[in-house]
Amino acid sequence: MAVNWAERISAFSRSPSRFLSGTTADAFLAELLRELRDDRASYSIKVLLLSPLCEHPTLLCPSDSVGEETALELMSVFAQCPPKSVQFRCHLLLALTSVLVCTSCVSGRSRASQDFLDLLLQIAQDTADLHGDGALRSLRATACDCLRELEACCSGLLSQRLELLGGLRHKETSRLHQAYAGLHALAIRNAVYQLAQETGAGADHLKALLGGNTSIAWEAEQDSDLMSNKDSSILSCLTLCPMGTVPTLQTGPDCKELRSVLSSLLEESYLLTPLGQAALLHRLIEVVAMVPGVPPAIFRAQLLRLLGTSEVCLLHSTLLMKCAFTDSLFSAEDEAFILKRLVVLSQHPLLSSPEKLFYMDCILHFPENRPISCGDGDESLPVLLTPRLASVLLPTVFNDSATMLARLNLLSLVYMEEGEGEEGKGLAYLYDHLTSLLHIVENGGSREIAVTFFRAAFLFLLYFFHVESYANGLTEKLGKLYLRHTHLAPHLINLADQTQDRLSESSWAVGLLRALQGVITEAPLAQLTLPDLSWHLKMLTRVAEEGEIPQRSTLRFLSSVVTPSSSPLCVSGDWRLGNSILGVCRRLLVHPTLDSLLIPLADILQHLACRYGDTDIQDHARLYYTLLTTLSKEKLAGVLARGSGEGGRQVTKRSLSCIMAESEGLTSVLTIHQTEKPIFRLVELDEEKRAHHESDSSPNVTQNCPGEANAALDVYRSQFHNPGFASEITLHYHLTHTADHDSRFDQLFSIRLHFDLTDDHYEELCDISVPCLFRERPPPAVKLRLKPRRPYPTTLHASAIFTTQDGLSWHTLLPDVHVSFQQAFLPLPAPTTWGIGDKLSVFEQLWEEMCSESGEKDQADCATSLFCCQLEEAALVALLEKHLLPYLLSDPCHKEESKVLFFLPPRSHMLLKIRSEEDAVHFSIATDNWQLLPHTSSFLLTITSSCEDK
Amino acid sequence: MSVRAVWIISQEKGENVSIRYSRRFATVEHRAQSLAGGSYAAVPEDSTVLQLLLTELGLSDSHKSYVVLRDDCVHRQRSPALELRVDGPGKGVLWPVLAISQGPLILACLPLVDAPAEPRPPLASLLSVSQGLTLLAGLQTFLLSSGSMIDSEGLASRLAMLPSVLLQICPLGTPLDVPLLGTPATSTAPTPAGSQKQPAWKTGLHRGRAVVNVALVETVRSMQYGNRCRQDLWDVFGTVSCKCEVEGVLPNVTVTLTLPPNGSPLQDILVHPCVTSLDSSILTASSIDNCDGSAFSGPYKFPFSPPLEPFRLCSYTSQVPVPPILGSYQLKEEENQLRVSVNLKLHESVKNSFEYCEARLPFFNRDQMGVVDVKVSSGQLDVFKEKNLLVWVLGQKFPKCREVTMEGKISFSGPTAGPTDPLCTELTAYIKLYFKVPDMTLSGCCVDQHSVQVYSSAKPRIITCRELQSKEYFIWNSTGSAPVSSGQMML
Repeated sequence: MAVNWAERISAFSRSPSRFLSGTTADAFLAELLRELRDDRASYSIKVLLLSPLCEHPTLLCPSDSVGEETALELMSVFAQCPPKSVQFRCHLLLALTSVLVCTSCVSGRSRASQDFLDLLLQIAQDTADLHGDGALRSLRATACDCLRELEACCSGLLSQRLELLGGLRHKETSRLHQAYAGLHALAIRNAVYQLAQETGAGADHLKALLGGNTSIAWEAEQDSDLMSNKDSSILSCLTLCPMGTVPTLQTGPDCKELRSVLSSLLEESYLLTPLGQAALLHRLIEVVAMVPGVPPAIFRAQLLRLLGTSEVCLLHSTLLMKCAFTDSLFSAEDEAFILKRLVVLSQHPLLSSPEKLFYMDCILHFPENRPISCGDGDESLPVLLTPRLASVLLPTVFNDSATMLARLNLLSLVYMEEGEGEEGKGLAYLYDHLTSLLHIVENGGSREIAVTFFRAAFLFLLYFFHVESYANGLTEKLGKLYLRHTHLAPHLINLADQTQDRLSESSWAVGLLRALQGVITEAPLAQLTLPDLSWHLKMLTRVAEEGEIPQRSTLRFLSSVVTPSSSPLCVSGDWRLGNSILGVCRRLLVHPTLDSLLIPLADILQHLACRYGDTDIQDHARLYYTLLTTLSKEKLAGVLARGSGEGGRQVTKRSLSCIMAESEGLTSVLTIHQTEKPIFRLVELDEEKRAHHESDSSPNVTQNCPGEANAALDVYRSQFHNPGFASEITLHYHLTHTADHDSRFDQLFSIRLHFDLTDDHYEELCDISVPCLFRERPPPAVKLRLKPRRPYPTTLHASAIFTTQDGLSWHTLLPDVHVSFQQAFLPLPAPTTWGIGDKLSVFEQLWEEMCSESGEKDQADCATSLFCCQLEEAALVALLEKHLLPYLLSDPCHKEESKVLFFLPPRSHMLLKIRSEEDAVHFSIATDNWQLLPHTSSFLLTITSSCEDK
Repeated sequence: MSVRAVWIISQEKGENVSIRYSRRFATVEHRAQSLAGGSYAAVPEDSTVLQLLLTELGLSDSHKSYVVLRDDCVHRQRSPALELRVDGPGKGVLWPVLAISQGPLILACLPLVDAPAEPRPPLASLLSVSQGLTLLAGLQTFLLSSGSMIDSEGLASRLAMLPSVLLQICPLGTPLDVPLLGTPATSTAPTPAGSQKQPAWKTGLHRGRAVVNVALVETVRSMQYGNRCRQDLWDVFGTVSCKCEVEGVLPNVTVTLTLPPNGSPLQDILVHPCVTSLDSSILTASSIDNCDGSAFSGPYKFPFSPPLEPFRLCSYTSQVPVPPILGSYQLKEEENQLRVSVNLKLHESVKNSFEYCEARLPFFNRDQMGVVDVKVSSGQLDVFKEKNLLVWVLGQKFPKCREVTMEGKISFSGPTAGPTDPLCTELTAYIKLYFKVPDMTLSGCCVDQHSVQVYSSAKPRIITCRELQSKEYFIWNSTGSAPVSSGQMML
């Protein structure tokens, strides 16, 4: 069968989880490896096949042992691969690296990873390609990168091979020297780091490390403290560490060797690509930071070249250098120069917008020689950034959104630092800018501009809410804006919410809402359209949440809106509109000034209850009216208590009026939540209990079937004409909580279990419902009815949806259910009236048919086999009793030969004749489905070996 | 200094979105896991990443006017790094996601944070961020290099090349280089025999006659208001591009830029990484400093060893005293028509010999044009009524007096509404100028053919050229309110 691998691999990478739900990880892995070994497959396909291993090694190799085996397998593929398929060999190295690193074979120093390391070092040293094909060189380049990645993931791996790496780097004159330089620098960095962690390590150790080239394998080092560094801090970038926390290696001034290695790396750095140079410099900065014996001045010769660069990563590495060495490498003039450079780059016409944003971020985290702030990672302005310098970064309406917001933020910080108030020119500019943005929105700017404007407004308020004239001016302008563009209501509500949240000391948000209430209620009613009204009602709902805002004008507005004489809008009796009106009323019912609102509110509710054109709205209005007029204020508040903010715990309380207020955490009730861990699982019921159950039901009649011997088989077979006969196996489970104790899930209701097949050996399963599951009660039984197409072992993915006590719905995954081969066994499905004799005769006839050599068509699947093992007499009896009793047809007392028949739905039989010969116990096997034989023998192996153990 | 994953997404204004290519780097992910410890969030499957990314970029649910996740005013959309919040079983925060978009493509990557996750380290301290930006920009250039018009076939073939390109430039998540343009990623040139190491950025060696091509392009931008209280603005930036075919592993070439005797110094100089050394005086002049007369004003020497492909040797900005074309634009509303009056004046220092020169006058937020009764003193006027656009083609030359005018009336009485623009309401309107002048620069900067030094045995052929072009050259209507284009000038 031709498999379209390109399609399958792309399906896998699109969604590995969905792909693997159709098969299993180990089956897919086996398929991949088989195809990789297949000589007929093209190398371009094989490269494709490696991508799942490169990208998702842990999905395909869930355990270290699988990883190890897979790696060995891949290495043998590598060994057999012709040298000229370079691309494939390169990808193989990448796949091997991914598998070995991610399954922690490398950190565990496994056999395969050791072999792989040797292989990589061998490739890295093999310079036979020097005069040959340039393409071959890319294998060497890939090997170097694999070594670098191994060293990066498993620090210190190559620390004993520094001299070898140095030599390779030195000799290499082709472009590959970059790969060696990167590798060498990283290995030095990690080696020095580990040495710095050692107490008492000094110059001599460093010298030995740089000169040492032990080819001793890992075993020798395994017990060394140095190598068992499990701490991930070595992976961390050292230039970030606050001063004084970088581990240092005290060498005194005598570390010529290290200095000469570093100098030679620096001298050649020019020959590296910008990305390679930046990485190299970063490593060297870390090394110099750790070894005080090497002065940072070693970098000086490179500085001018780096400061003038147009490459973002090179300038960035210079900034990191500044962060690490401050005034020991950079003078005050240098600092001023670099800052100016950053400001220039932040608005340079030739740079891309992400680069400019990055440079602006660098200004806000500028590594000053003498920082004043504690450098806690928050944005802060460098002292040297004067308002005059920053003024080139003032935002304009021509900037793209992100740039504009970044500039606004930076300049706001500048002017805040300057303490600018109302008279400040800079601040005035920012406010004017905000106004221009607002005008663009007002004149029909796009959604993106509107969003940007509200973000800018939020930023401005965050810094300058205390400057009253601007804050008030903005409020007024926003009110006008809203009246022209009511669809901006959600933006305005969001702005009010967020400013209220972030600026708790300010009452700006309340002021805004009050202003909005004003514009809504004072605007002429005649011009009001239906869409406007529904936005207004949304807005008024939000306004009604504020206890400080008087609500009389809102009520006046509502009253005139619902009165047909003053406004025709509510005549239609639209349910949504009515609902929005009730939404406002509902908020007003819990408003602290309710006492003064009582009569007008009651009037509106009564009007709605009597006149509104929708019955549902009338009903609800009547309910509210009744509540308002009969309940005390406290009780009313209790009944209508807001459910939001309590994380959905109060679901049971939202009995009266859920439907009224849409934003009250209803979503949490309507959504299905996902559990983080499995909550419960299916536990298979004990064999014995089950056997006990079943033996009760089987009638014990011994009656012989009439007629001749052959007739028994015919009668037996005729049963299968009845569709559905003996086609199911039933598995018994208990549903129990997992060990994790989470009290939310102690009582579960309406559990619906859903099963997904992982192959097509079985028919789809129906969902199973379990009414409830309580942690303290006995676990409910669950019967799984499986209908095999082919009775092979399988795995089922199980999931469930259930409800918790608080009314929330949850979705959870259960641990997979494994169905073993023997779980598909059934006793011979003979008519219930049959005795043992009939069954035996069916056995004999089947046996005869299966063993006959006649090449009849339906016999094609028949096969016989023999399984032998050493078993004591007693052990054999025990085995029969324990595992085979339900399927035993011959008399258990009949010691010489036992006959066992397994029926496997839908139509397969597996017959055993068990006989003790002098040397061993022989299990003669006959079956009408030869494909069952491998499963049978592994089954027999399991049960017999378990007996041997005893 | 590595990236955990790379995604390439194609889209058309938020519609037809799909991930065209994605690559995860498992070993980097492994490192990310051990670095982040408890706060580790795995990279979710592509569809989830796509959804989150589009929301963060404001491109999701384009038919809805407001979506909290997308439009919340607290979102920090001002940083180059996005934050993706993953819900569900693999809950966590992916940060810093870098994304750049151009045309139909969005390129994104997730750099490794090689620092303790809490508290979140500043972006500026992560080298992987600038490396990620470089990688993305390189991939973008590679994918879109088939031309400014992006044809889907060209893009598809470039995408198909990505696996082998990434094998070269970023095999295990650590970016080593950016993709080469044009030539295949594998080198075919023989290895040099000498002891001189070949630069990693040089894919091969040139054989044959030495040719050095240096092109100097200056770009002028301008905002002219014709208003006493608003100062007119213009700025100039130049780039020097080279293509050098010179023999040798590491040949030396020096290009020298010179200014006329009293020219103002070149500022904000940025150089290509192949420049071997720089004099500190070259870097001192900056556009944000006050110009002082004593500043270094050349000659500017750039010694370098050229890569094989064309490259931008350096760029600079310059402050020139006058704009090349000074314009005035006046509109008057008269009943149902607009009276237009335009005057453009070419400065005497500018060579009156254009490759092209045209002025565009768009009109927004009005009905379609009806009668256009406009006269020009020179050149030719094209009217695009359906776009409400006048195009005044001035051609190769201004008349001798170096001044041209346009006068007339336009009525907007068409049956349908014309194009809209939220910025250009009422009398806010502009003229945009497009021009190119060969063989001149505004700053006076030039590359003398004889000043290009090539240290090689054979005598090289040296070609130099220069030109001036316009970009964002606006002349605003002086009777309307024009938007502020530079805050600095307002203060």
